[in-house]
Amino acid sequence: MTELSDYIASREAVLDRVRRLLRETMKLRLEPEAIDPDAPLFGTGLGMDSVDAVELVVQLDAVFGLKLADSLFVSSKMRTVNTIVDAIMELGDEP
Amino acid sequence: MSLEEEYTFVRHSAALSRMEHVQCVRIEGEDATEAVDAICSGDLWVRDGRMRQTLILDERGQPIADVYVCPDDDDCILLFEGMTASELFEYIDRYADPELEIRPVDLRPTHELISLHGPYAWEVLSRWLTPDIIGLPYLSFYYFDHGICFRAGKTGEYGYDLLVHREHAGDAWQDLLGLVSAVRGGEVSLETLDLCALENGFFSVRHGSVDGLTPLELQLQWRVSARKRFPGVEAIEERRAEGVGRRLTHFVARDGVRAGDEVRSADGPVGRVGSAMLSPGVGGIVGTALLDISVAHPGIDAFFASHSDTKRPIRTISSPALFNRSLLVDPHRHTYETRDRSMDPPLWQGALP
Amino acid sequence: MSQSPHITGWGVASALGVGRDRFRAALLRGNTGIAEIQRFDTSPFATHVGAMVAGYEADERDPTLLCQEFGLLALRDALAHAALDIERLRTMRVGLTVGASLFGDYNTESLARDLARELGISGPSITISTACTSSTQAIGFGADLIREGFVDIVLAGGVDALTPALFSGFHALGVLSERPCTPFGRQIGTTLGEGAGFVVLERSGLRDAVTHALLRGYGLSGDAYHETSPEPRGRGVAAAIRGALDDAGASETDIGYFNAHGTGTMANDTAEWCAVQSVFGSELGESLPLSSSKGHLGHAQSAAGVLEVITTLECMQIGLAPTTAGFEAARPGGPPQPLGSKQPKPLTYELALSSNSAFGGSNCALVFGNDRPASSAPEQRRRVFVSGAAALCPGVSQISELASIYEAEPEPLHGELDLDLAAELPRVDVRGIDRAAELLTTVTSRALGDAGVQPRGKARGRTGLIAGTLRASPDSLHRFHTSLEERGIAKPDATAFAQVLPSAAQSACAKALNLRGPQSTITIGEGSGLMAAVMATWMLARRRDADRMVAAAVDVRSPSSPEGALADAACALVLCTTPSTVEVAGIGLAGPEQLDDAISEARRGWGREEAPELFIERPDPFGGMPATSSSFALAHALSSLRRGAAGSALIASRGTTASVAMVLTSIEVTGND
Repeated sequence: MTELSDYIASREAVLDRVRRLLRETMKLRLEPEAIDPDAPLFGTGLGMDSVDAVELVVQLDAVFGLKLADSLFVSSKMRTVNTIVDAIMELGDEP
Repeated sequence: MSLEEEYTFVRHSAALSRMEHVQCVRIEGEDATEAVDAICSGDLWVRDGRMRQTLILDERGQPIADVYVCPDDDDCILLFEGMTASELFEYIDRYADPELEIRPVDLRPTHELISLHGPYAWEVLSRWLTPDIIGLPYLSFYYFDHGICFRAGKTGEYGYDLLVHREHAGDAWQDLLGLVSAVRGGEVSLETLDLCALENGFFSVRHGSVDGLTPLELQLQWRVSARKRFPGVEAIEERRAEGVGRRLTHFVARDGVRAGDEVRSADGPVGRVGSAMLSPGVGGIVGTALLDISVAHPGIDAFFASHSDTKRPIRTISSPALFNRSLLVDPHRHTYETRDRSMDPPLWQGALP
Repeated sequence: MSQSPHITGWGVASALGVGRDRFRAALLRGNTGIAEIQRFDTSPFATHVGAMVAGYEADERDPTLLCQEFGLLALRDALAHAALDIERLRTMRVGLTVGASLFGDYNTESLARDLARELGISGPSITISTACTSSTQAIGFGADLIREGFVDIVLAGGVDALTPALFSGFHALGVLSERPCTPFGRQIGTTLGEGAGFVVLERSGLRDAVTHALLRGYGLSGDAYHETSPEPRGRGVAAAIRGALDDAGASETDIGYFNAHGTGTMANDTAEWCAVQSVFGSELGESLPLSSSKGHLGHAQSAAGVLEVITTLECMQIGLAPTTAGFEAARPGGPPQPLGSKQPKPLTYELALSSNSAFGGSNCALVFGNDRPASSAPEQRRRVFVSGAAALCPGVSQISELASIYEAEPEPLHGELDLDLAAELPRVDVRGIDRAAELLTTVTSRALGDAGVQPRGKARGRTGLIAGTLRASPDSLHRFHTSLEERGIAKPDATAFAQVLPSAAQSACAKALNLRGPQSTITIGEGSGLMAAVMATWMLARRRDADRMVAAAVDVRSPSSPEGALADAACALVLCTTPSTVEVAGIGLAGPEQLDDAISEARRGWGREEAPELFIERPDPFGGMPATSSSFALAHALSSLRRGAAGSALIASRGTTASVAMVLTSIEVTGND
C-alpha cells in the first residue's frame, strides 16, 4: 500500500498549497481546511469571477509551472479545487 | 421515454420538466433580508437580481433544505427543496428576531415551476421569451410578462427555472414542449435530473442527508458562513473541534454497486456508499461514498464496494465527472442546427476500473 | 438662471488628427485612427493595435508630458474655434473641467493646474477621474458651473495617453480585440486609444459668438455591481440616460441620434442595448439611429466622452450622423442596425444623446443640440440640508471630537488607522477591498447611520456619492506596479489594475452600500472634500433624479510619496432634500487665488448682512490630509450647529485648483419630522 500512501501524501501536499494559493488570490478569510476540494470555483462555490481567474492563472504558472493556455482548456481544468490539483499532478512541474 | 433517451435530452439538446419538488416563497417587508439571513447557513453576499445557493441546517448541523436566495429589491425570493413553505416560515418564526418587519408569501399556490436544462436550453428560451436571454448571467433572474426566469440548474448544463403564473402555465408548457422537440429534446423526469445532478457533483437534500452528516463531511463548507450565527452553528463548531473524520467523495464503477455498500481497501473498511446510479454518459455507475478523510481523494483505484458477498472495484474521481457539452456551446455564435460537433472532446474522458 | 449653456467651439488632439480641420477631414473621408502600435513593444500581447494621437505614434515620453501636450493642443484649438484669445479670456470668469485618470505617484489635479496656468485661466478648475466617463462628466459639470452662475465660460473635456501599463491591464482582463474593434459587430473586444478634446461652453448672451449647439443636460448613475463588468441589464446606463433627458427637459422621442459608448466588448454592447430598449421601448429603440465612434477613434479612455461628443457635433452641423467604422454584421444581443460604414451618413436631427460607461459602474449621458423642442424642465430649486456626518483620522472617530482639535493649537497629524470593515458591514462581501475603499466605505456607512437612513429599494437609485480624493489607493498602485516589475509587462495583477483608478474607492463604496444614484470622483487638490459637498449641493438643488448625496473625501497615508498624505483620513457628509436642522444656505466657487470671491458668493446665497458666527477659513489645521481636512471643517461646523454652539458657519478653502466656500445655518424644523 505504499504506492497508495505515496499518492495520497503528494496529493495532500499539492491540495494544501492550492488551498493556500486560492485563499491568498481571492482574499478568502478561511482556514485552508475549510476550502472543500470539490468546491466549484466559479459562479457558485468559491465565487471566483473573471478578474480573480486572470490572477489565478498567472499564479498557477508561477507557483506550479502549470500552463493553462487557451480558454477551453482553462475552463475544463479550473472547475473545482480538485481539478486544479489533478492538472498540477498531471501537467505541472515536479515539486 | 427511457432514462437513456431523457438523459440525451439533458446532456445533448434541451429537456423540459415540472419541478413539483421545489418550493418558492417571497419574503416581503423591510427586514426580509435580515430574516432570511437569520435562518440560512451561508453569508448572503448576493446582489439584487442575483442568486446564491445556501443551506438551512437543523440543530445537529444537518442540511434540511437546499436553498437559492434571490434578493429582489428589498424582498427576498427563495427557491428551495427539502422543506415545505410552512416549515420554512416556521423556521423564520423560531430563529429570526421577532421584531423584524416581514410578510412571508407562498408563491406555489399561484405559480407553477417549469424548468429547462441542456446545452441548447438557452436557444429554446430565446425563442419563447426573448433573444436577450443569452445575456442573463448564471445565477441571476429577471421578470418577464408571465413570471420570473431564474438561471440556475443542477445538472451542469444551461438551466433555467421559470416561475409562471398558473393561468399561463398550461400554454407555457405546451409552447415550450414544442420548442424543445424542435431541437430533438423532450420532457424528462425527476430521476433523470437527479442522475445528472449526481454526475455533476450537485448536492441533493433528498438523497444526500445521511444521519450525522454536516456540510463539513458533505463538502458544502462553501455554503456555510465563517463568521455569523445560524441554526446548527454550534454543532458545526463542535464537529470542527473534534476533527472531521470523513468526507464525501465521488467515484465510478462498472456495475453492481448500490447505496449503502461498504467500501473497503486491502486493509479494511474505509467507508460507505452514499448514492449510486447507472449513468449512460459514463457507461457505468457514478456515485458518492463517505470515506475516511485520510483516503478521501480522487484518483484512487484501491477500493472495493461490497454488499452480501459481492465485491466491485471503484475508482474515486474529481467531480464533475463529465466534460459537459454546455462548456462547448456559445449562445452568441452557435445554434443546435448549425454547430459542428465533430471535433468535440468526449463527454466522459475517464476510464472505469 | 438655467438656460442651456451654448457650445461655441471645440478642439481636438486625436488619432484622426490634431486640430479640428484635420479631424473633420479624416472623419468625412472615413479614415480610422486605429493602427499597429509603434510606441511600445506589443509582442508579449495577443493584440497589437491602438489609436494613438496623429504624429505621436512613436512618442515615448512620459505620459504626463504627453497629456499636457495633448491637452494644450486641444484647448488652443477650441479657443480658436470659439474666437476667444487668451487676453479676452482674462476678462471673463473662466472655468476648466478636465477628465483625467492617469494613475501614478502624483496628484491627479496637477494636469488641470498646469493647463490652467499655461492658458492664464484664473477661475476654478475641477478634475474628474472616473476613467471612461471622466470627460463626459466634465462636460456635464461644466454646464452646471455656468448654470449655477459661478463662471461665464467653461472649457470642458478630457485627456488620456495610452501607456504600456494601461494596455497591459486591459489585455489581462481579456477585453481587447485582436484586430481593430467592431462595436456591435462580429468581433468581440475593444481597442484602446488616447487623445484630448475640449468644448467651449458659455452662458447665453455673454458675447456675440456663434452658437453651434446647446448643452441641454446630463445624467449620472452608478451600477454598484462589479469592478470591471457593467450591470448586464443596463439599468445604470438607462438611469443615466433618463437623468440626462430629464435634465434636458426632453423626452426620448426627441432624440434623433445616439452616440453609444459601444466599446465592442460583449458585456458593454449588450448592456447598452438593453438600456436603449428600456428607455426607448423596443420599437423606437430599433429605429433610433445609433453608432459608436470607437471604430474610428479607439477607446480614448478619459477623453472618450468629449471626443465622441465632438465627433457628433462636427457631423450634426453639416446634416450628418457619425457611423461605426468596421461594423459589418450585427452580433446577437445588440442593436440590429447600428449606422455602419466608415463615412458619416446623411441625417438631420435636433437633439443628440451621447453616453459612456466606466469600470466601477459609472455611467454618464449627455443631451445636446438645438433648443427645439424647448425644454420642459421646471425651474424649481430644492433646499438642501445636511442630515449626517462621520469622520475618521488618527485621534478622531466621532465628529464631536473635531471640536477639541480645532480649538487647540493645530499640529500635523500622522499615522494609520485600524479598521475592520467586515465587522462594520457584516452582510457585505468586502474581500480584497483596498485601503482607500475601506476608509471611504466606513465613513460613508457611519454617516448614513448618523443621518438615520439606510437607503432601501428605489431610494438606492436616488442616493448618490461624490468623493474627493487626489489619487488612487497607494496599496493598489504598489501592488499593480510591483506585479509588472516582478512578472513582466504581460502579467499584471488584474485585480490591482481594476483598483488603480482614483474612482475605484468610490465605486467600491457604492457597491458595498448599494448606492446607485449620481456619483463621481473629483479633485481640486487641497479642499477636495468641500468641493464634493458644493457639487452635491448644486446637484440636489437642481436635479430631480436624486434626493440624497453623500459628499465624502479620503486620504490614504503615503509618506514616501512627495505629495502624498501623511495620515489616513476620511470624512463623509449626508446631504438631502428632506428638511433637517442644518441647511446649506449658500455655496461659492472661484479660482484658487479668488477665495474672497468664493466667500462672497456663498454669503450672497445666504442673503444675510452679518458674518456667520463660526468661520473656518483655513480648514487644514493639521496638514497632511489634503482632500479630507476641508470635509472635517464641514463636519465640525455641523457638529457645532447641532450643539447650538453657533447658529451659522462659513467654511472656506483655498484649494489647489479652486477656492470653495459654503455657509451652513441652523433652522427651525416645523411640521413633520
